[in-house]
Amino acid sequence: MRRLFADRLVLATGVVVILLSILFALSRVG
Amino acid sequence: MQLHHAVRGAVWVIFYLLFILAPLFALLAGSIPPARDFWTEFSVALGYAGLAMMGLQFGLTARFRYVTQPWGEDVIYHFHRQISLVAVALVVAHPLILFAVRPELLALLNSIQAPWRARFAALSIYSLIALVVMALWRAKLKLRYETWHLTHIVLALVAVAAGLLHMIGWGFYLIDPWKRALWIGLTIFWVGLLLYVRIVKPLFMLRRPYRVLEVRGERGDTSTLVMRPDGHPGFRFSPGQFGWLTVWGSPFRITGHPFSFSSSAEVADGRVEMTIRNRGDFTSAIPELPVGARVYIDGPYGAFTIGNPADMHVLIAGGVGITPMTSMIRTLADRGDPRPVILLYGSKDWESITFREELEALKARLNLTVVHVLADPPPDWTGERGFITAEMFKRHLPPPYADHEYFICGPNVMMDAIEAALGEMKVPMSKYHSERYSFV
Repeated sequence: MRRLFADRLVLATGVVVILLSILFALSRVG
Repeated sequence: MQLHHAVRGAVWVIFYLLFILAPLFALLAGSIPPARDFWTEFSVALGYAGLAMMGLQFGLTARFRYVTQPWGEDVIYHFHRQISLVAVALVVAHPLILFAVRPELLALLNSIQAPWRARFAALSIYSLIALVVMALWRAKLKLRYETWHLTHIVLALVAVAAGLLHMIGWGFYLIDPWKRALWIGLTIFWVGLLLYVRIVKPLFMLRRPYRVLEVRGERGDTSTLVMRPDGHPGFRFSPGQFGWLTVWGSPFRITGHPFSFSSSAEVADGRVEMTIRNRGDFTSAIPELPVGARVYIDGPYGAFTIGNPADMHVLIAGGVGITPMTSMIRTLADRGDPRPVILLYGSKDWESITFREELEALKARLNLTVVHVLADPPPDWTGERGFITAEMFKRHLPPPYADHEYFICGPNVMMDAIEAALGEMKVPMSKYHSERYSFV
Protein backbone atom coordinates (compact mmCIF):
# COMPACT_ATOMS: atom_id res chain seq x y z
CA MET A 1 0.00 0.00 0.00
CA ARG A 2 2.92 2.30 0.80
CA ARG A 3 4.26 1.37 -2.64
CA LEU A 4 0.94 2.40 -4.17
CA PHE A 5 1.31 5.71 -2.34
CA ALA A 6 4.86 6.01 -3.69
CA ASP A 7 3.56 5.31 -7.22
CA ARG A 8 1.02 8.10 -6.85
CA LEU A 9 3.76 10.38 -5.56
CA VAL A 10 5.86 9.60 -8.64
CA LEU A 11 2.91 10.41 -10.89
CA ALA A 12 2.13 13.62 -8.99
CA THR A 13 5.80 14.70 -9.11
CA GLY A 14 5.90 14.11 -12.88
CA VAL A 15 2.70 16.09 -13.42
CA VAL A 16 3.85 18.98 -11.18
CA VAL A 17 7.23 19.18 -12.94
CA ILE A 18 5.63 19.17 -16.42
CA LEU A 19 3.04 21.78 -15.43
CA LEU A 20 5.68 24.05 -13.94
CA SER A 21 7.87 23.57 -17.01
CA ILE A 22 4.91 24.75 -19.09
CA LEU A 23 4.56 27.70 -16.72
CA PHE A 24 8.28 28.43 -17.13
CA ALA A 25 7.92 28.43 -20.92
CA LEU A 26 4.75 30.53 -20.83
CA SER A 27 6.38 33.07 -18.54
CA ARG A 28 9.14 33.41 -21.12
CA VAL A 29 7.04 33.77 -24.25
CA GLY A 30 4.16 35.62 -22.59
CA MET B 1 2.38 5.68 8.60
CA GLN B 2 1.90 7.40 11.96
CA LEU B 3 0.91 11.08 12.09
CA HIS B 4 4.34 12.52 12.95
CA HIS B 5 5.82 10.31 10.24
CA ALA B 6 3.16 11.54 7.81
CA VAL B 7 4.05 15.17 8.60
CA ARG B 8 7.76 14.44 8.19
CA GLY B 9 7.05 12.59 4.96
CA ALA B 10 5.05 15.55 3.61
CA VAL B 11 7.84 17.97 4.56
CA TRP B 12 10.37 15.86 2.67
CA VAL B 13 8.13 15.74 -0.42
CA ILE B 14 7.94 19.55 -0.39
CA PHE B 15 11.73 19.76 -0.01
CA TYR B 16 12.13 17.28 -2.86
CA LEU B 17 9.96 19.36 -5.21
CA LEU B 18 11.75 22.55 -4.14
CA PHE B 19 15.15 21.01 -4.89
CA ILE B 20 13.92 20.11 -8.38
CA LEU B 21 12.05 23.27 -9.27
CA ALA B 22 13.79 26.11 -7.39
CA PRO B 23 17.05 25.84 -9.44
CA LEU B 24 14.91 25.95 -12.62
CA PHE B 25 12.99 29.07 -11.64
CA ALA B 26 16.19 30.69 -10.35
CA LEU B 27 17.14 30.90 -14.03
CA LEU B 28 14.43 33.54 -14.43
CA ALA B 29 16.12 35.86 -11.94
CA GLY B 30 18.89 38.34 -12.83
CA SER B 31 19.73 38.93 -16.47
CA ILE B 32 17.61 36.81 -18.80
CA PRO B 33 18.48 36.08 -22.42
CA PRO B 34 15.90 36.88 -25.13
CA ALA B 35 12.96 34.47 -25.17
CA ARG B 36 12.64 31.82 -27.85
CA ASP B 37 9.51 29.97 -28.94
CA PHE B 38 7.31 28.12 -26.41
CA TRP B 39 8.46 24.60 -27.34
CA THR B 40 12.16 25.48 -27.10
CA GLU B 41 11.67 27.06 -23.67
CA PHE B 42 9.49 24.14 -22.54
CA SER B 43 12.08 21.59 -23.65
CA VAL B 44 14.83 23.51 -21.86
CA ALA B 45 12.77 23.55 -18.64
CA LEU B 46 12.26 19.78 -18.93
CA GLY B 47 15.99 19.30 -19.37
CA TYR B 48 16.90 21.34 -16.28
CA ALA B 49 14.19 19.74 -14.12
CA GLY B 50 15.05 16.24 -15.39
CA LEU B 51 18.72 16.72 -14.54
CA ALA B 52 17.84 18.01 -11.05
CA MET B 53 15.70 14.90 -10.53
CA MET B 54 18.55 12.66 -11.69
CA GLY B 55 20.94 14.41 -9.31
CA LEU B 56 18.60 13.99 -6.38
CA GLN B 57 18.61 10.23 -6.97
CA PHE B 58 21.93 10.25 -5.12
CA GLY B 59 20.06 11.64 -2.12
CA LEU B 60 17.35 8.98 -2.23
CA THR B 61 19.92 6.22 -1.96
CA ALA B 62 22.22 7.99 0.54
CA ARG B 63 20.66 6.09 3.48
CA PHE B 64 19.73 9.15 5.53
CA ARG B 65 17.81 7.53 8.35
CA TYR B 66 15.88 10.69 9.16
CA VAL B 67 14.65 11.00 5.57
CA THR B 68 13.84 7.35 4.90
CA GLN B 69 12.19 6.52 8.23
CA PRO B 70 8.68 7.82 7.43
CA TRP B 71 8.55 5.63 4.32
CA GLY B 72 10.72 2.58 4.87
CA GLU B 73 13.78 1.80 2.77
CA ASP B 74 11.95 -0.57 0.42
CA VAL B 75 9.50 2.19 -0.56
CA ILE B 76 12.33 4.71 -1.00
CA TYR B 77 14.07 2.31 -3.41
CA HIS B 78 10.78 1.71 -5.21
CA PHE B 79 10.34 5.50 -5.54
CA HIS B 80 13.97 5.78 -6.70
CA ARG B 81 13.31 3.29 -9.52
CA GLN B 82 10.00 4.78 -10.63
CA ILE B 83 10.97 8.46 -10.44
CA SER B 84 14.15 7.74 -12.43
CA LEU B 85 11.94 6.65 -15.34
CA VAL B 86 10.13 10.00 -15.14
CA ALA B 87 13.44 11.89 -14.94
CA VAL B 88 14.93 10.05 -17.91
CA ALA B 89 11.74 10.63 -19.91
CA LEU B 90 11.98 14.40 -19.19
CA VAL B 91 15.67 14.53 -20.13
CA VAL B 92 15.11 12.55 -23.34
CA ALA B 93 12.07 14.71 -24.22
CA HIS B 94 14.35 17.79 -24.15
CA PRO B 95 16.27 17.01 -27.40
CA LEU B 96 13.31 15.24 -29.01
CA ILE B 97 11.15 18.39 -28.76
CA LEU B 98 14.04 20.51 -30.05
CA PHE B 99 14.56 18.18 -33.03
CA ALA B 100 10.83 18.36 -33.79
CA VAL B 101 10.61 22.16 -33.77
CA ARG B 102 14.09 22.85 -35.17
CA PRO B 103 15.04 19.95 -37.50
CA GLU B 104 18.37 21.62 -38.33
CA LEU B 105 19.52 20.63 -34.82
CA LEU B 106 19.51 16.96 -35.92
CA ALA B 107 22.98 17.68 -37.30
CA LEU B 108 24.17 17.77 -33.66
CA LEU B 109 23.67 14.00 -33.52
CA ASN B 110 26.82 13.68 -35.61
CA SER B 111 29.17 13.56 -32.64
CA ILE B 112 32.29 13.86 -34.82
CA GLN B 113 31.37 17.31 -36.11
CA ALA B 114 29.14 18.48 -33.28
CA PRO B 115 30.47 20.99 -30.72
CA TRP B 116 31.49 19.73 -27.29
CA ARG B 117 28.32 20.96 -25.63
CA ALA B 118 26.28 18.67 -27.92
CA ARG B 119 28.67 15.78 -27.39
CA PHE B 120 28.19 16.10 -23.63
CA ALA B 121 24.41 16.10 -24.11
CA ALA B 122 24.65 12.92 -26.18
CA LEU B 123 26.96 11.30 -23.60
CA SER B 124 24.57 12.20 -20.80
CA ILE B 125 21.53 10.79 -22.60
CA TYR B 126 23.26 7.62 -23.81
CA SER B 127 24.49 7.00 -20.24
CA LEU B 128 20.96 7.46 -18.90
CA ILE B 129 19.49 5.08 -21.45
CA ALA B 130 22.16 2.46 -20.67
CA LEU B 131 21.52 2.97 -16.96
CA VAL B 132 17.77 2.40 -17.32
CA VAL B 133 18.15 -0.62 -19.62
CA MET B 134 20.61 -2.26 -17.21
CA ALA B 135 18.41 -1.52 -14.19
CA LEU B 136 15.19 -2.79 -15.76
CA TRP B 137 16.66 -5.90 -17.36
CA ARG B 138 19.51 -6.76 -14.99
CA ALA B 139 18.36 -10.35 -14.58
CA LYS B 140 17.72 -10.89 -18.31
CA LEU B 141 21.13 -9.44 -19.14
CA LYS B 142 22.58 -11.91 -16.58
CA LEU B 143 24.58 -9.15 -14.90
CA ARG B 144 26.17 -9.98 -11.56
CA TYR B 145 24.69 -7.73 -8.88
CA GLU B 146 28.10 -6.31 -7.93
CA THR B 147 29.03 -5.56 -11.57
CA TRP B 148 25.68 -3.94 -12.19
CA HIS B 149 25.89 -1.84 -9.02
CA LEU B 150 29.32 -0.41 -9.90
CA THR B 151 28.23 0.27 -13.50
CA HIS B 152 25.04 1.89 -12.21
CA ILE B 153 26.98 4.37 -10.08
CA VAL B 154 29.51 5.18 -12.82
CA LEU B 155 26.81 5.73 -15.46
CA ALA B 156 24.83 7.96 -13.08
CA LEU B 157 27.93 10.06 -12.38
CA VAL B 158 28.75 10.36 -16.10
CA ALA B 159 25.14 11.28 -16.92
CA VAL B 160 24.96 14.05 -14.32
CA ALA B 161 28.46 15.44 -14.98
CA ALA B 162 27.96 15.42 -18.76
CA GLY B 163 24.55 17.06 -18.30
CA LEU B 164 26.14 19.88 -16.31
CA LEU B 165 28.92 20.34 -18.87
CA HIS B 166 26.27 20.50 -21.61
CA MET B 167 24.45 23.26 -19.70
CA ILE B 168 27.60 25.26 -19.05
CA GLY B 169 28.80 24.72 -22.63
CA TRP B 170 25.52 26.01 -24.02
CA GLY B 171 25.47 28.75 -21.42
CA PHE B 172 22.19 30.27 -22.61
CA TYR B 173 20.64 30.60 -19.17
CA LEU B 174 23.91 30.42 -17.23
CA ILE B 175 25.47 33.69 -18.38
CA ASP B 176 25.30 35.12 -14.86
CA PRO B 177 28.22 33.71 -12.83
CA TRP B 178 25.94 33.12 -9.82
CA LYS B 179 23.65 30.92 -11.90
CA ARG B 180 26.63 28.89 -13.10
CA ALA B 181 27.79 28.67 -9.49
CA LEU B 182 24.31 27.54 -8.41
CA TRP B 183 24.21 24.63 -10.84
CA ILE B 184 27.85 23.67 -10.28
CA GLY B 185 27.19 23.82 -6.52
CA LEU B 186 24.12 21.64 -6.94
CA THR B 187 26.11 19.07 -8.88
CA ILE B 188 28.82 19.08 -6.21
CA PHE B 189 26.06 18.58 -3.62
CA TRP B 190 24.64 15.58 -5.54
CA VAL B 191 28.04 13.98 -5.95
CA GLY B 192 28.75 14.79 -2.30
CA LEU B 193 25.73 12.69 -1.34
CA LEU B 194 27.27 9.78 -3.20
CA LEU B 195 30.66 10.37 -1.57
CA TYR B 196 28.95 10.47 1.83
CA VAL B 197 27.48 6.99 1.47
CA ARG B 198 30.51 5.50 -0.34
CA ILE B 199 33.43 7.20 1.48
CA VAL B 200 32.38 8.98 4.69
CA LYS B 201 30.09 6.25 6.02
CA PRO B 202 32.55 3.43 5.25
CA LEU B 203 35.31 5.45 6.99
CA PHE B 204 33.10 5.58 10.06
CA MET B 205 32.29 1.88 9.76
CA LEU B 206 35.97 1.00 9.41
CA ARG B 207 36.41 2.05 13.04
CA ARG B 208 33.43 -0.05 14.12
CA PRO B 209 33.97 -3.57 12.82
CA TYR B 210 32.16 -6.70 13.94
CA ARG B 211 33.51 -10.23 14.40
CA VAL B 212 31.68 -13.40 13.48
CA LEU B 213 31.05 -15.27 16.72
CA GLU B 214 29.16 -18.21 15.28
CA VAL B 215 27.63 -19.41 12.02
CA ARG B 216 24.59 -21.49 12.90
CA GLY B 217 22.85 -23.71 10.35
CA GLU B 218 19.04 -23.37 10.37
CA ARG B 219 16.25 -25.25 8.67
CA GLY B 220 15.38 -24.20 5.10
CA ASP B 221 18.94 -23.86 3.71
CA THR B 222 19.45 -20.85 5.96
CA SER B 223 22.28 -19.75 8.26
CA THR B 224 22.36 -17.39 11.20
CA LEU B 225 25.41 -15.15 11.50
CA VAL B 226 26.06 -14.20 15.11
CA MET B 227 28.24 -11.08 15.25
CA ARG B 228 29.60 -9.02 18.09
CA PRO B 229 31.07 -5.51 18.02
CA ASP B 230 34.86 -5.45 18.04
CA GLY B 231 36.21 -2.60 20.18
CA HIS B 232 33.03 -0.53 20.36
CA PRO B 233 29.63 -0.86 22.04
CA GLY B 234 27.67 -1.50 18.81
CA PHE B 235 24.25 0.02 18.25
CA ARG B 236 20.72 -0.47 19.51
CA PHE B 237 18.09 -1.46 16.97
CA SER B 238 14.34 -1.91 17.02
CA PRO B 239 13.01 -5.37 16.20
CA GLY B 240 12.17 -5.58 12.49
CA GLN B 241 14.95 -3.25 11.38
CA PHE B 242 17.81 -4.26 9.09
CA GLY B 243 21.44 -3.45 8.36
CA TRP B 244 23.67 -3.44 5.28
CA LEU B 245 26.16 -6.25 5.71
CA THR B 246 29.58 -6.22 4.07
CA VAL B 247 31.65 -9.39 4.27
CA TRP B 248 34.86 -10.43 2.57
CA GLY B 249 36.49 -7.04 2.38
CA SER B 250 36.44 -3.51 3.62
CA PRO B 251 33.37 -1.31 4.08
CA PHE B 252 34.52 0.50 0.94
CA ARG B 253 33.34 -2.46 -1.11
CA ILE B 254 30.72 -1.02 -3.36
CA THR B 255 28.08 -3.58 -2.51
CA GLY B 256 26.61 -4.19 0.90
CA HIS B 257 23.56 -6.40 1.25
CA PRO B 258 20.51 -5.57 3.36
CA PHE B 259 19.50 -8.21 5.92
CA SER B 260 17.03 -8.01 8.79
CA PHE B 261 18.27 -8.59 12.31
CA SER B 262 16.83 -11.81 13.68
CA SER B 263 18.05 -11.46 17.27
CA SER B 264 16.27 -9.85 20.18
CA ALA B 265 16.67 -6.09 20.46
CA GLU B 266 17.07 -6.59 24.21
CA VAL B 267 20.49 -8.25 23.95
CA ALA B 268 22.70 -5.97 26.02
CA ASP B 269 26.23 -6.63 24.72
CA GLY B 270 25.71 -5.24 21.21
CA ARG B 271 25.60 -8.72 19.68
CA VAL B 272 23.41 -8.95 16.58
CA GLU B 273 22.25 -11.86 14.47
CA MET B 274 21.25 -11.98 10.82
CA THR B 275 19.58 -15.03 9.35
CA ILE B 276 20.39 -15.44 5.67
CA ARG B 277 18.92 -17.87 3.15
CA ASN B 278 21.12 -19.44 0.51
CA ARG B 279 19.90 -17.91 -2.75
CA GLY B 280 22.68 -19.33 -4.89
CA ASP B 281 24.56 -16.03 -5.15
CA PHE B 282 27.08 -14.71 -2.58
CA THR B 283 24.75 -15.98 0.16
CA SER B 284 25.81 -19.56 -0.67
CA ALA B 285 29.22 -18.79 0.90
CA ILE B 286 27.75 -17.51 4.20
CA PRO B 287 27.81 -20.96 5.90
CA GLU B 288 31.56 -21.15 5.15
CA LEU B 289 32.34 -17.83 6.81
CA PRO B 290 35.01 -18.53 9.45
CA VAL B 291 34.46 -17.70 13.11
CA GLY B 292 36.42 -14.54 13.91
CA ALA B 293 35.99 -13.08 10.40
CA ARG B 294 35.74 -9.30 10.32
CA VAL B 295 32.47 -7.93 8.91
CA TYR B 296 30.84 -4.50 8.76
CA ILE B 297 27.25 -3.54 9.47
CA ASP B 298 25.74 -0.22 8.40
CA GLY B 299 22.57 0.19 10.37
CA PRO B 300 20.05 0.06 11.80
CA TYR B 301 17.56 1.10 9.13
CA GLY B 302 13.87 0.65 8.44
CA ALA B 303 10.46 1.71 9.68
CA PHE B 304 9.20 -1.89 9.94
CA THR B 305 9.08 -2.13 13.70
CA ILE B 306 6.77 -2.64 16.67
CA GLY B 307 6.02 0.03 19.25
CA ASN B 308 2.65 1.50 18.31
CA PRO B 309 -0.42 0.98 20.51
CA ALA B 310 -2.09 -2.32 19.59
CA ASP B 311 -4.22 -4.96 21.29
CA MET B 312 -2.26 -7.72 19.57
CA HIS B 313 0.45 -8.24 16.98
CA VAL B 314 -0.28 -10.18 13.82
CA LEU B 315 2.89 -11.26 12.04
CA ILE B 316 2.62 -12.63 8.51
CA ALA B 317 5.80 -14.16 7.14
CA GLY B 318 6.63 -15.95 3.92
CA GLY B 319 9.87 -17.97 3.73
CA VAL B 320 12.89 -16.03 4.96
CA GLY B 321 10.50 -13.15 5.76
CA ILE B 322 10.40 -14.86 9.15
CA THR B 323 13.69 -13.12 10.06
CA PRO B 324 12.36 -9.73 11.25
CA MET B 325 9.36 -11.49 12.83
CA THR B 326 11.70 -13.67 14.88
CA SER B 327 13.41 -10.55 16.15
CA MET B 328 10.01 -9.12 17.15
CA ILE B 329 8.90 -12.35 18.85
CA ARG B 330 12.20 -12.76 20.72
CA THR B 331 12.10 -9.11 21.81
CA LEU B 332 8.47 -9.27 22.99
CA ALA B 333 9.33 -12.45 24.94
CA ASP B 334 12.37 -10.79 26.53
CA ARG B 335 10.25 -7.79 27.49
CA GLY B 336 7.58 -10.05 29.02
CA ASP B 337 4.93 -8.45 26.80
CA PRO B 338 1.52 -9.93 27.80
CA ARG B 339 -0.28 -9.11 24.53
CA PRO B 340 -1.16 -11.94 22.13
CA VAL B 341 1.03 -12.51 19.09
CA ILE B 342 -0.30 -14.48 16.11
CA LEU B 343 2.22 -15.62 13.53
CA LEU B 344 0.97 -16.80 10.13
CA TYR B 345 4.01 -18.39 8.60
CA GLY B 346 4.13 -19.68 5.04
CA SER B 347 6.81 -22.25 4.19
CA LYS B 348 7.51 -24.70 1.41
CA ASP B 349 7.24 -27.85 3.53
CA TRP B 350 7.42 -29.03 7.14
CA GLU B 351 11.14 -29.75 7.12
CA SER B 352 12.15 -26.35 5.74
CA ILE B 353 10.46 -24.21 8.42
CA THR B 354 13.24 -21.95 9.70
CA PHE B 355 13.13 -21.49 13.52
CA ARG B 356 10.40 -24.19 13.81
CA GLU B 357 11.61 -25.58 17.13
CA GLU B 358 12.47 -22.21 18.63
CA LEU B 359 9.03 -20.80 17.82
CA GLU B 360 7.50 -23.76 19.66
CA ALA B 361 9.77 -23.09 22.64
CA LEU B 362 8.91 -19.36 22.67
CA LYS B 363 5.23 -20.22 23.27
CA ALA B 364 6.21 -20.91 26.88
CA ARG B 365 7.38 -17.31 27.34
CA LEU B 366 4.84 -15.41 25.25
CA ASN B 367 1.14 -15.55 24.36
CA LEU B 368 2.18 -16.80 20.92
CA THR B 369 0.08 -18.68 18.37
CA VAL B 370 1.88 -20.04 15.32
CA VAL B 371 -0.15 -20.98 12.24
CA HIS B 372 2.01 -22.83 9.74
CA VAL B 373 0.88 -22.64 6.13
CA LEU B 374 2.59 -25.20 3.92
CA ALA B 375 2.78 -25.03 0.14
CA ASP B 376 3.76 -28.68 -0.04
CA PRO B 377 2.35 -30.34 3.11
CA PRO B 378 2.91 -33.97 4.11
CA PRO B 379 -0.02 -36.39 3.45
CA ASP B 380 -1.20 -36.41 7.08
CA TRP B 381 -1.12 -32.57 7.41
CA THR B 382 -4.32 -31.14 8.90
CA GLY B 383 -3.18 -27.53 9.13
CA GLU B 384 -3.37 -24.70 6.63
CA ARG B 385 -2.04 -25.35 3.14
CA GLY B 386 -1.35 -23.38 -0.03
CA PHE B 387 -0.78 -19.65 0.35
CA ILE B 388 -1.83 -17.20 3.06
CA THR B 389 -5.25 -15.74 2.20
CA ALA B 390 -7.85 -13.36 3.65
CA GLU B 391 -10.00 -16.37 4.58
CA MET B 392 -7.15 -17.69 6.70
CA PHE B 393 -7.03 -14.38 8.58
CA LYS B 394 -10.72 -14.70 9.38
CA ARG B 395 -10.25 -18.29 10.61
CA HIS B 396 -7.42 -17.40 12.99
CA LEU B 397 -7.83 -13.75 13.99
CA PRO B 398 -10.43 -12.44 16.40
CA PRO B 399 -12.38 -9.37 15.24
CA PRO B 400 -12.30 -6.39 15.23
CA TYR B 401 -9.50 -6.73 12.68
CA ALA B 402 -8.74 -3.00 12.60
CA ASP B 403 -7.58 -3.02 16.23
CA HIS B 404 -4.58 -5.28 15.58
CA GLU B 405 -1.14 -4.23 14.38
CA TYR B 406 -0.07 -6.18 11.27
CA PHE B 407 3.43 -6.87 10.00
CA ILE B 408 4.00 -8.52 6.63
CA CYS B 409 7.30 -9.70 5.16
CA GLY B 410 7.73 -12.12 2.30
CA PRO B 411 7.88 -12.46 -1.47
CA ASN B 412 6.33 -9.66 -3.52
CA VAL B 413 3.40 -11.79 -4.75
CA MET B 414 2.45 -12.72 -1.19
CA MET B 415 2.79 -9.11 -0.01
CA ASP B 416 0.50 -7.80 -2.76
CA ALA B 417 -2.14 -10.45 -2.01
CA ILE B 418 -2.08 -9.81 1.74
CA GLU B 419 -2.13 -6.03 1.46
CA ALA B 420 -5.20 -6.39 -0.80
CA ALA B 421 -6.82 -8.79 1.70
CA LEU B 422 -6.25 -6.37 4.59
CA GLY B 423 -7.80 -3.63 2.50
CA GLU B 424 -10.88 -5.83 2.00
CA MET B 425 -11.04 -6.40 5.76
CA LYS B 426 -11.14 -2.61 6.25
CA VAL B 427 -7.84 -2.56 8.13
CA PRO B 428 -6.55 1.04 7.84
CA MET B 429 -3.13 1.58 6.24
CA SER B 430 -1.79 2.97 9.51
CA LYS B 431 -2.31 -0.43 11.16
CA TYR B 432 -0.17 -2.51 8.87
CA HIS B 433 3.46 -2.45 7.98
CA SER B 434 5.18 -4.26 5.18
CA GLU B 435 8.78 -4.73 4.20
CA ARG B 436 9.85 -6.24 0.92
CA TYR B 437 13.08 -8.11 1.35
CA SER B 438 13.91 -8.04 -2.35
CA PHE B 439 14.01 -4.25 -2.65
CA VAL B 440 17.45 -3.84 -4.22
